[in-house]
Amino acid sequence: MHDASTLAMRPIPAAAGIGLRAPHLQRVLAERPRVPWFEMHSENFFGAGGAIHAALERVRADYPLSLHGVGLSLGSADALDGEHLATLRDLVRRYQPGLVSDHICWGAVGGVHLNDLLPLPFTVEALDLMVSRVQQVQDALGREFLVENVSSYLTFEHADMSEWEFVAELVRRAGCGLLLDVNNVYVNSINHGFDAHAYLRAMPRAAVREIHLAGFTRKEALDVPLLIDSHSRPVDAAVWDLYAEALALLGPLPTLIEWDQDLPELEVLQAEAGRAEALLDARRARAA
Amino acid sequence: MPAAPALRELQRGFADAVLGRGDAGARWVAGAGLAPTARLQVYANAIARTQIDTLRATYPAVLALVGAEFFEAAAARYRLRYPSTRGNLQAFGAAFADFLAALPEAAALAYLPDVARLEWLRQEAALAADAEPIDPAAWLAALDAPTPLQLVLHPSLRLLASAHPLLTIWRYAIAPAGDRLQLDGRGEQVVLWRDGGEVALAATDAASHACIAALASGHDLDAAQAVALAVDADFDLAACLRSLIAQGLVVAFTQTGERPT
Repeated sequence: MHDASTLAMRPIPAAAGIGLRAPHLQRVLAERPRVPWFEMHSENFFGAGGAIHAALERVRADYPLSLHGVGLSLGSADALDGEHLATLRDLVRRYQPGLVSDHICWGAVGGVHLNDLLPLPFTVEALDLMVSRVQQVQDALGREFLVENVSSYLTFEHADMSEWEFVAELVRRAGCGLLLDVNNVYVNSINHGFDAHAYLRAMPRAAVREIHLAGFTRKEALDVPLLIDSHSRPVDAAVWDLYAEALALLGPLPTLIEWDQDLPELEVLQAEAGRAEALLDARRARAA
Repeated sequence: MPAAPALRELQRGFADAVLGRGDAGARWVAGAGLAPTARLQVYANAIARTQIDTLRATYPAVLALVGAEFFEAAAARYRLRYPSTRGNLQAFGAAFADFLAALPEAAALAYLPDVARLEWLRQEAALAADAEPIDPAAWLAALDAPTPLQLVLHPSLRLLASAHPLLTIWRYAIAPAGDRLQLDGRGEQVVLWRDGGEVALAATDAASHACIAALASGHDLDAAQAVALAVDADFDLAACLRSLIAQGLVVAFTQTGERPT
C-alpha cells in the first residue's frame, strides 16, 4: 500500500483524458494504453478496501488521476453529509488526485437521496447556500475543489439570475475552480433556449480548470426539443464547435471524454480523445 | 404564478413529484412548451432507472431466480418503501432481503431472502478494509502460551447460516449447471471472505461455523471451541484454525485480557 505522504500530487495536463469505467479497468491495467490522464468516480472508492482500491493504486501509479464525485449533493437544503465528506477527504489524502470535483446540483431532501444531479433554482438563496457548501468542502479537503455545471430538463418559474450568472458568481464568491461541461452548456442551450456562446463568454476564465465532453441523446415525439445528457454516444458536431470556441476563449485545458451508458471499446474513447487532442494542438499552435 | 418557495420547500415538492407522492411541486416548474409534470417525469424515470439498476448489480442471483419482470417490479416497490439514504449508491439496497421476506408474491420462494442476504454480504466483503494476515511463526509461538488466545479475523469475513441449501442455490442461480436445481432440503452455513481481489464463498459444517462466529464476536479460542463442541462433539479446533490461517483470515491475536495487536 502506498503511503499518502510519499505520493506526490501529479497535476492533470492540458491534454485529452478519458473517464475510466469498471469494464475498461483490467485492460488499462494490463495494457497501459497511452492516455494522458484518467478521471474516476470518487464514490466507487468509498469502500474501505478490496480489489477496487488495489486497481486505483495501480492506475494512480501510472497516470495522473482526477476524482470526480456525483453524490455530495452540495445544493441540498439538508446539511452536507459529514460522513460522505470525511470519506472523500480520506480518499483525497490517500490518492492525492490532480483535480477533485462534484456538481452544481442537489440530490437529497429530508434525508431521502434521489441519486441524481438535480437542477437548482437560480435564486440568491440557492447561490448563498452553494457558496457556503463549496467553502465547507474546500476547508475540509484543504485544497481547491471544482464544481461542474449540469444538464437539466427543466427550469423553475422563480429565478433571480441566469444559469451562467449563477455559475460565474458561485465560482467567484466561493473561490473554487470550475469544471466546464461544454456538452451540458449545449444541451441546456437547446433545452432552455439560451445562447451557448453568451454562456461561454460569461464564464470566469481564470477559474476554469477542466472541460468535460460527452454525447447526448434526443428525446423524441415531444412538442419541444429535449436533449438528454446520456453519456451514451460520440460527442455531437455542435459540441465540438462549442469546444473549439471554449478553447479559443480559455486556452488549452485538461479535457475529459465521458461515456457511461452503452460503453464501447476503449479505442472508441481514445478516438474521441484524439479529436479533442487535435483541437488542443491547434490551440497550442496558435498560442505559440 | 405561485409565490416563490423556499429552497427546502421546492426540493420537497420536487422529491414528492419524482417519487409519486403528489404533483404539487410541478407548480414551480416552467413548462416552456411541455407540461411541467412531463419534465419532472424525465427525472422520475432516470432516478428510478439508476436505483433499480443498482439493485440489479448487487443482487444478480435474486434477479436470475425471479426473472427480470418480477425483479423490476419488486425493485420499483423497494426503492419507494426503503428510499436511498446516502449519496453513495454502494449503500443502497441493504434492506432488500427483509423487503423480499415480507413480499407476499415471493412467499413461494422461501429461500429468496437468504439469497439476498448472501448477496449483500458479498458486497460488504468486496468493499471491506484490507488487512495483512498474521506471521505464521508468531502464531505457532503463541499457541504454546498458557493463556487462551483471542483472534482478530479479516475485516472481509462474513458468515450466514441458512435453513436452505443457500450456497448451492446461489451457485446455480449465477451459473446454472444441469436441467434443474436438485435440493435435498438441508441447510447450509456459508463463509464469505475476500481472496485476492475476489469474494470467495464456501459452505462449512455447523460446528466450524459456530466456532468462527464465536471467534468473530470476540470469544477466545477455548470459549469458541466449547460453543462448537456443543454443536458437534467431534469438532476439530486445530483443523478449523488451520483453514482460517491458510486463507489468511487471522490478522491479529492477543492473549486473553490484552488488547489486540
